[in-house]
Amino acid sequence: MVGDLAMKRSNEPFFWLLFGAGGMVAALIGAGLVLTTGLLGPLGATRAMDYARAYAFAAHPLGKLVLFGVVALILWHSVHRMGEVLHDAAHVSAAIPLRVVAALATVACGWLLLSI
Amino acid sequence: MSEIRTYRRPMGRWWTKNPTYRRYMAREASSFLLFAYALTLLYGLWRLSQGQAAYEGWLAWLASPFAIFLHLLMLLGMIVHTVTWFEVAPKTMPKTGLPERAITLGGVAAAAFASLVVVALAAWWGTSR
Repeated sequence: MVGDLAMKRSNEPFFWLLFGAGGMVAALIGAGLVLTTGLLGPLGATRAMDYARAYAFAAHPLGKLVLFGVVALILWHSVHRMGEVLHDAAHVSAAIPLRVVAALATVACGWLLLSI
Repeated sequence: MSEIRTYRRPMGRWWTKNPTYRRYMAREASSFLLFAYALTLLYGLWRLSQGQAAYEGWLAWLASPFAIFLHLLMLLGMIVHTVTWFEVAPKTMPKTGLPERAITLGGVAAAAFASLVVVALAAWWGTSR
């Protein structure tokens, strides 16, 4: 019995860790990121998003790490909350499908970065 | 036998019923904007991997009125996220002895600084070479 209980370890702490890490990344630099990649870059206030510079950033190992961290952690953070809010507000259990989406998107992100 | 009818408290749209619930929903709903932002970046990475023409198509879309509106919404969502994140932080982290308000203000100030650093780094990257 005791052994059975010990075997049934929850996997929630792992997902909560991703939720917390993504939440912290988004809280600290999210506004700066959206301002840069969504407004200042496309509107021409900075040339940081020109093809050559964006490519050089994504081609550099450190740039890959930053991009992967930002995309994957914000994804895992947001799917955790979306699962909760859908449960609370709409009484829909979407936690598992949302985690599948996040896992597929994480793999896609890693694969794209390695291909650049 | 007749069906036993018990009172069931109506739960439809409960989150509109008081300011605390509305704040909770604003915080949780910001996650949809964060999700959209992460997918936008991922889509951009995919276009980047396809070469210059594809990437510049994505950049042109980013400059469209709809995309600008969407990113203004996402910026608002990020700010809601930042403020609410550091409002919750003192309740979830180990006790420090500091007043909760100080932790929230310190967190938001750190976020403002870190975001400025991101914008400054991007500006520097934009002028390099």
